[in-house]
Amino acid sequence: MTDALRSFYNDFTRTFGNVLFAVCLLLAWALMTLAGVVVDQGKDPSVYFSMYAPPVARLILRLGIDNIYHSPYYVGIIGLILVSLTVCTFKRVIPARLPALRPLPIDRIPLNATISVPGDASQLQARVDDFFRGRGWMVRKREFGGAEWTFADKHNWARRGVLIAHVGFAIIAAGTTVYWARGFSGDVPIAMGQTIRVPHRQATLRLDDFRYKIQPIMTKSGMVYQPIDYVSYVTVTGADGAARRQTIRVNHPIDVDGSLFYQSSYGFALRFLVTHDGTRDGDLSSKLYEVGESIELPGSQRQIQIDQFVPTVDRQTGAPSADPRLNNPAVALEAIQSGQSAGAALVPMNTWIDVGDGWRITPVKYVMVSGLQYRYDPGVALVGAGAFVLLAGLIVSFYFLPARLFVRVDGGTVAIAATTVKGYDMFETQFNELVAQLRRHFAPTQRSGGLNLASEVT
Amino acid sequence: MQGHMPLDEVLLIIAIGAYSVGALALVAYFFSREEWLAHLGIPLAIAGCAAQVAQLVARYETTHIWPLLNLYGSLSLFSAVSVAIFIFFAFRYRIWFAGGFVLALAALFLAYGATWNEGSMPPVPSLQSYWAKIHVPLVVSSYAAFMVAFVIAIMYLIKYYYERGLEGGRFSPGRMFEGAGGSTRAAYAYEGPDLSVAEAISDPRAVAVKMDTPNIAAAAAAGNAGAQWMNAMPSLAQLDVLIYRIVAVGLPLLTLGIITGAMWAHESWGAYWQWDPKETAALFSWIVYAIYMHLHTRSQFRGLRSAWISVAGFLSIMFCYFGVNLWISGLHSYKV
Repeated sequence: MTDALRSFYNDFTRTFGNVLFAVCLLLAWALMTLAGVVVDQGKDPSVYFSMYAPPVARLILRLGIDNIYHSPYYVGIIGLILVSLTVCTFKRVIPARLPALRPLPIDRIPLNATISVPGDASQLQARVDDFFRGRGWMVRKREFGGAEWTFADKHNWARRGVLIAHVGFAIIAAGTTVYWARGFSGDVPIAMGQTIRVPHRQATLRLDDFRYKIQPIMTKSGMVYQPIDYVSYVTVTGADGAARRQTIRVNHPIDVDGSLFYQSSYGFALRFLVTHDGTRDGDLSSKLYEVGESIELPGSQRQIQIDQFVPTVDRQTGAPSADPRLNNPAVALEAIQSGQSAGAALVPMNTWIDVGDGWRITPVKYVMVSGLQYRYDPGVALVGAGAFVLLAGLIVSFYFLPARLFVRVDGGTVAIAATTVKGYDMFETQFNELVAQLRRHFAPTQRSGGLNLASEVT
Repeated sequence: MQGHMPLDEVLLIIAIGAYSVGALALVAYFFSREEWLAHLGIPLAIAGCAAQVAQLVARYETTHIWPLLNLYGSLSLFSAVSVAIFIFFAFRYRIWFAGGFVLALAALFLAYGATWNEGSMPPVPSLQSYWAKIHVPLVVSSYAAFMVAFVIAIMYLIKYYYERGLEGGRFSPGRMFEGAGGSTRAAYAYEGPDLSVAEAISDPRAVAVKMDTPNIAAAAAAGNAGAQWMNAMPSLAQLDVLIYRIVAVGLPLLTLGIITGAMWAHESWGAYWQWDPKETAALFSWIVYAIYMHLHTRSQFRGLRSAWISVAGFLSIMFCYFGVNLWISGLHSYKV
């Protein structure tokens, strides 16, 4: 490796291995995430100009904040976090969390104590070792410069908590990458009686029936029409050619050759009788229109847009009712001339309306449309596993405190210091208790050093 | 029973009353340290929490509808769990002094939740899932834990800035109370490269971040009433550890809440992650607390900076809870 390359490698690992750099990346991720919460995502540019002052709207669009979660910088920041996490894991977490056994100046460690033990000093080392072993500490001994040191560890395995959490995060990222690479999803509005080919599969799906249930409820603020159930009754013909009748409900998707189909929404499709000078237009009259579509009138600059299907029109006022149940339905139509609205009307079913130039339109039939979603996600198991690994790592990190005791027996004194991966305050109470036990265990007379840590919390 | 107030609403009023009186008693205890005030406030906190649990059970028993599916129900659980978490930590670490503030917030949130009570309504199809009984309590409990951490963080900041005021505002987090006789406990905060502990403590770059309050102690000894009750609070180091421990309850709960939410979404909406405002706001809060946990591994970031991050984290939780439910439309816009 050349010096320049080695220097670059060192700079790279030093930067990406620094926890503060990782925190900066997390902060950037947080702020981008927040921007996506505050700014509506995936809307038409005109929506942003109607919601914000023009300079702000332009900024949102130019910076891609309108679709920030799929922007290069959002994906990029997650990529950088993964790089940082990897470098941090290998350069910092593993070496720092599994530290070598080395001596240290006990009196300079904040959690320290020295105990004088009267009597026979020859057996003291063995008694100290037994004391810690008897309390669940893993005791190891090393010699440094001719002096014997005792190292006692507790919850040493829990030093891997951060490592486990990092691995979990990486597994989640791998799972989402698998979806991006091989998964697919989409929406399928399907009208009653219609058959669709399942995307990316050899299967077909026919909507036999669709039912929805709305319950009117009198609340303290007035009548509310609460949706209770949406159900699609479908016939699925899989790649094996076998037809099966199945039911799709919200929270109860079905599996069609590996793709899941979900009940998402519902709506209505409409059929119109379109006449020109009293003659039925066969093409326009046989088509099924969805809300939002337009009827293009041949030989005319005019088109009729279907704005809304109104399930219930109030019979007294003639206005649309809030009741979404089917009871006196109508269609809201809008005439568009050269891109401008040329008038709108609410047209009851089986009632014609003259839209000019000899054209008449009569809504004659409505058909229920089931809004289905499909998804194939081969990475979902990885994401799930990663999430639980991450959670396990957090629990290990937060609830188990790996601590190391440095013990030096010299003549008739026992010097002890403690370090933990979470600083000294976290272990203060336990250390005080341990020292007190040690004192009681050996002798009534002792000399203590370090801190007076036993302040009472009130 | 027509014309009578439903049992759950009676219990709600009892809970609000118990929290309000308990809050007053414990706030008075915070200032006066009269033991009888704590002995009044503690049972009221427990009684209020019990009344709330009974209220949620009564609501479920009378309507047979899971009571946490709207803002009224979830705020009720939020208040109850925040008080329960506080009671647990108060018994464990004797932090009743902060109880008045926790109970006051619990009463406030509970009363606000009651304004969203529209009576019993069956859930919309997407909420008709067993996941509602798992995901919602987990997430709301995490919010509650973060609220208690927020209150302790506020205590920390009050004590810190009081000490700073006594000091004359001359210190910074990096050189608190130098030469004031404070302990050397945290003298080894270290910003250099990885070294062994032995090497690190000998390194001249070691930064002193002390969390003791000698000026408060001195002023208290001199009879300053404000300093006396500040001095009766736990030390800054103890408060910092408490905040950490409570966040360490909240963050795994939030993580598990997000995971179970994703599992529910996978069943209900066809994708475990939809970039819905509620999901992303929860992710934002999760990242804020992940930052807290990362920075808390560095001793120079413990204490003041950690306390501020805890405050920021709770504000993000409030945004996630109310901002997204009330002001931003999305898949989670369940108000009533």
